[in-house]
Amino acid sequence: MSIVTVQLGQCGNQIGFEVFDALLSDSHSSQGLCSMRENEAYQASCKERFFSEEENGVPIARAVLVDMEPKVINQTLSKAAQSGQWKYGQHACFCQKQGSGNNWAYGYSVHGPRHEESIMNIIRKEVEKCDSFSGFFIIMSMAGGTGSGLGAFVTQNLEDQYSNSLKMNQIIWPYGTGEVIVQNYNSILTLSHLYRSSDALLLHENDAIHKICAKLMNIKQISFSDINQVLAHQLGSVFQPTYSAESSFHYRRNPLGDLMEHLVPHPEFKMLSVRNIPHMSENSLAYTTFTWAGLLKHLRQMLISNAKMEEGIDRHVRPPLSGLPPLSKMSLNKDLHFNTSIANLVILRGKDVQSADVEGFKDPALYTSWLKPVNAFNVWKTQRAFSKYEKSAVLVSNSQFLVKPLDMIVGKAWNMFASKAYIHQYTKFGIEEEDFLDSFTSLEQVVASYCNL
Amino acid sequence: MGRRRQRVDPAAGARAGALPEAIAALSRSLPSGPSPEIFRRAKFDRPEATSALWQLLFRVLSPLPAGNALASLALEVQARLVKSALCSQGYPRLALAQLPEDGSQGSRELLLALSWLLARGPVPEQMLAQARVPLGDEMTVCQCEALASPGPPAPHMEAEGPVDVRHVQWLMGKLRFRWRQLVSSQQEQCALLSKIHLYTRGCHSDQSLSHLSVTEAEMLRDPEGGQQLLRTLERENQRLEAVLAWRRSELVFWRWMDTVLGTCAPEVPAAASQPTFLPWVPERGGGELDLAVRELQALEEELQEAVERRRVAWEAKAGGCGRGPEWSAARRASREAVEKELGALQQCWERDGGPAQPHGPHRLVRREDGAAGDRDLRAAVVIRTLRSQEACLEAVLRRLQGQCRQELARLVGALPGLIWIPPPGR
Repeated sequence: MSIVTVQLGQCGNQIGFEVFDALLSDSHSSQGLCSMRENEAYQASCKERFFSEEENGVPIARAVLVDMEPKVINQTLSKAAQSGQWKYGQHACFCQKQGSGNNWAYGYSVHGPRHEESIMNIIRKEVEKCDSFSGFFIIMSMAGGTGSGLGAFVTQNLEDQYSNSLKMNQIIWPYGTGEVIVQNYNSILTLSHLYRSSDALLLHENDAIHKICAKLMNIKQISFSDINQVLAHQLGSVFQPTYSAESSFHYRRNPLGDLMEHLVPHPEFKMLSVRNIPHMSENSLAYTTFTWAGLLKHLRQMLISNAKMEEGIDRHVRPPLSGLPPLSKMSLNKDLHFNTSIANLVILRGKDVQSADVEGFKDPALYTSWLKPVNAFNVWKTQRAFSKYEKSAVLVSNSQFLVKPLDMIVGKAWNMFASKAYIHQYTKFGIEEEDFLDSFTSLEQVVASYCNL
Repeated sequence: MGRRRQRVDPAAGARAGALPEAIAALSRSLPSGPSPEIFRRAKFDRPEATSALWQLLFRVLSPLPAGNALASLALEVQARLVKSALCSQGYPRLALAQLPEDGSQGSRELLLALSWLLARGPVPEQMLAQARVPLGDEMTVCQCEALASPGPPAPHMEAEGPVDVRHVQWLMGKLRFRWRQLVSSQQEQCALLSKIHLYTRGCHSDQSLSHLSVTEAEMLRDPEGGQQLLRTLERENQRLEAVLAWRRSELVFWRWMDTVLGTCAPEVPAAASQPTFLPWVPERGGGELDLAVRELQALEEELQEAVERRRVAWEAKAGGCGRGPEWSAARRASREAVEKELGALQQCWERDGGPAQPHGPHRLVRREDGAAGDRDLRAAVVIRTLRSQEACLEAVLRRLQGQCRQELARLVGALPGLIWIPPPGR
């Protein structure tokens, strides 16, 4: 089933390009380590999901590009066309001549309603092209102006008009020391609105990816392009085809639906994060071999110690003893900085994947008391290797990963709000103090729910 | 307790082969019906006939059409579901509820239950309708199923200890996702059906239909599949003929069933309560659990005594609530209230929605010229009716939600010091 991607703002468009590029170059890769027939099935599945065919055979990305200024969209369109491998649809973009100056309220209350019809029309055309439509994948940042405000508005519209379709928002968490002064306001407004209208929030922290680039990939001058490529690699390893059941021979038809059903059915717990292993520069890749046991052990430790990458993992964090009553387990976990999960999905790709042993992830101590590992943990596998990595594993986790960062952002935003700093920029365009208070309440509720696991 | 002796009607057995023929016809008309020999053995309550009859009753009573999943259920589970279904339909004989579920005895009781079902309704015809092979693309438009009361309840599952509400919310969320995926799949199916109907215009030999259905298109594409369809239709014909033969000869069968009933001991009038069907509890291993079991048993006895004392005191206070005329009056009142709601809903639908929808499945036909026969339904009309029904239902839902919210606010108001923050709605 097909997924329509909506790329919003500068951030969304740049990342979207890298994602489609990564997906297609992986599907064309000759180092899949599998039979030709399987490779063809993999390619066909990937194409059906993310691309549509044109007469001359060049795949067209199933995407809608939206931005308030033309510069980034034009760059994105030309980069795609230059690759020769794929391109964006001719009429798939919407842009205006002016920006929104990082003003969330302007994006939400002015741009949104003004351009609602045009944007929804383009989206509708893209959806109608799909034979079987699974849902939307919306890429945006939460701190900027266009992406965040307009993104919240568009997601709300999608919820109204396509209430039966799935919606996943890929959200970029800004640098802690970001340049936008009001980024915390924008962030809390975006998150609280999206929590209501979206089904799943897949959050990526710029700080974390920056560290991956620096420490694991050894990049000296880190550009946004590097960061976006790391992100695209992570998303690609989540969304490329996998088998549908333990010993089935068909690729999964609806990964978005299956992922959401496994991870985010509860309305209070919608925040997901991604960890993948291994991640290194191409040069090092040639000289390293991996075992599934080693990879999975690291991944598990990353999960429970809340590490962002495979270096510098705190090895002292251990799961608490099982059999403790829930309340004392909770406080013990807090002392140990232990990351409790609600649900986890591990996706394994590569050689000898059938021999990989994921028992470590089925330990009930990893999970909250009200969900048993048999329901909380799922694993998807495919033999076909991903993007030059002979073995790779990715973890999509609904856990307490993001509680601390969220709490920090809410705290900072509250401090600013208490002194009414910059509020007039928002009230000018119809976002009242009431709306801020609503946002604070919802997010505090989310933080509390996650803390009480 | 004497045996009831039936006067044998001399004309009944006049044609020697009449009874076996009738039973054979019955057996052929039911899906995987057992051989006449099984019926004969069941009259004499022979144990080897029991499991075949349990399985037949299960097929007849299960609400879903037969599939591999159902066939693979263990005999005990099938037996338990049969008992539960018969009980909820009001089957009068208690002996059946007390039969062991392993298929070791009780074939005569099962035969009686089968004939009770056969006497109540046209069972072979209903089963045939369920397993019908549709040649066209069909859908039903009437909403009878939506307004009917729910069928036999599934075996009751006891929760093991307190249930965390978050777990329940999790499960509800999963159900919602499945529901949405179902709707998406249906939309996909409709789009594909539309394409097939459009592309096969003019291919059908029947002018009034003009285009092919999926089954017909598939038959042309895949001759082997076409052969299989033909064989299925032939089997269906055979079953139809068996049903007709059964209807012609069933009198013989009923006379015979009278003799079967005669061989049973008459039943003692029912005791106050029906037996409950307990869920299957897995065997727990022995060892150190024995001590725990003993302690729990002692605790249970203590609690039972305490419960008895309390119950006596409460009955004295409440005066027989839960039993007796007041309780049944309350139950009757609430049942009537529900029926009134359903009736009001039905009226609302009939009033706003135009003519009542005819029952049963309809074949989907795409026509360019818009001409429709007398018994044909136009899609636009159906859609209009369904939309108005949907509006009625939404109004009822909003009303009930408002009532719930008011009730919740009242409950919260009664607790001092509690601040209730409702979830942000739009």
